[in-house]
Amino acid sequence: MQTKKAALTSETYEVDDFATAQEFYHGNGWTDGLPVVPPTEAAVEACLEWALMPPDQLIGIEPVRAQPITAEKLAINAVMAGCLPMHFPVVVAAWQAMMKEEFLLHGVTSSTGGCAILAIINGPVRLEIGANPAFNALANSDRATAVIGRSLRLGLINLLEVRPGGIDRTTLGHPGKFSYCLAEDEEDTGWQPLSAVRGIPEGVSAVTVMAAMAPRQIMNEWTTDPREILETFAAEMRANQRHYSIYGGNYAIVIPKQLREPIERAGWTKHNIADFLYERARVSRAEWADVGKGSIVRDRGDRIHAALESPDHLLVVAAGGPAGGFGAVIPPWMGSKTKAVTAAIGACVDCEPPKG
Amino acid sequence: MPFRVLDPTNERRGAGGQPAARPPSLQGKTIGFISNGKEGTKGYFAQLERLLREELGVAHFVRRTKSNYSAPADARIINEIPKWEAVVAGVGD
Repeated sequence: MQTKKAALTSETYEVDDFATAQEFYHGNGWTDGLPVVPPTEAAVEACLEWALMPPDQLIGIEPVRAQPITAEKLAINAVMAGCLPMHFPVVVAAWQAMMKEEFLLHGVTSSTGGCAILAIINGPVRLEIGANPAFNALANSDRATAVIGRSLRLGLINLLEVRPGGIDRTTLGHPGKFSYCLAEDEEDTGWQPLSAVRGIPEGVSAVTVMAAMAPRQIMNEWTTDPREILETFAAEMRANQRHYSIYGGNYAIVIPKQLREPIERAGWTKHNIADFLYERARVSRAEWADVGKGSIVRDRGDRIHAALESPDHLLVVAAGGPAGGFGAVIPPWMGSKTKAVTAAIGACVDCEPPKG
Repeated sequence: MPFRVLDPTNERRGAGGQPAARPPSLQGKTIGFISNGKEGTKGYFAQLERLLREELGVAHFVRRTKSNYSAPADARIINEIPKWEAVVAGVGD
């Protein structure tokens, strides 16, 4: 039996051709400066059908400005970003996470601090969409993460008016504001997936969002001692505390295979890594005087600031190409004003079981 | 060949609110200053208070500071607003 599809309700416009569509969208301020895929009714409906969502399904309400976000509008922006229907459930889950109160979406997207929204994908969906967690993991590693990350930014621009000089008051920003998305390399690590560390059952796909500054790359190819490797990460976290923000928050670290293997071989879990960095990544307020910020040390020079308020504020991600003693520290936007949020994709992990 | 494309913006506006009526004059009025708590607001509001007092005759100023400069004003501040005749929300860096 065929059921009648709910109709899309967005305004439609006729354009002459692909090039005209580009100028129409750019001219209206509806892009990130790059070309967009024209969102036709058929392409948007395909996304909604894949996710089994009616167009008017309310995905959430932005908590500060009370803006309702519907599946139809997210699908339009996802198509524009280049998403295929199979990418759309990840986009929806990321938005559900972003609209949680503790994420502080309005502050994150309006601040002069200029963070981007980092999305980290876990679970079987990574394989379905062809995400590549290895070579070039933090950049243009694959189609899926490129367009999913981009769709989050286009949605912010078009649904919450997060345009430079508008709601977005960023001083500098960073390239992750075009797209900032990666998948964890679960097949090539014995570690628990990030989503499982954060409470999602293993085997359930999930996305974690974090208000994130640009990655700070580290290198240490000259040891296999887990402590020494992690000291390099800790030093980079301390550098961020000194040069950017001293306050503790969610940091992410990305550990590629060459540095990951000796740490795993020595029996260290993600929890062990977090405990170690919680102790090692901390600076005294007096250190601000070394980097030109002496005027705000005041009489609190002895105060110790930890980069992590607690070990569970660290997001450890296994990703990156197979060779190279590199890693990355991804600092938080501004201390703990925002919290990373993890949401299951296409599943409800804390729903009431059916009655009876 | 022409084809139709969809509007990506939020055509459904949030509940929002209407701006309050503008006072015809600030003479003798009470103005609330809501600071985001950043260092730069101190000088800004000090100067603004002087200008409003000397040039527009504002009688009273109530200064309040948000507990989190990246979040909306706290409920305790919002609840005070009806007692004031105008508000300046200052964002300083």
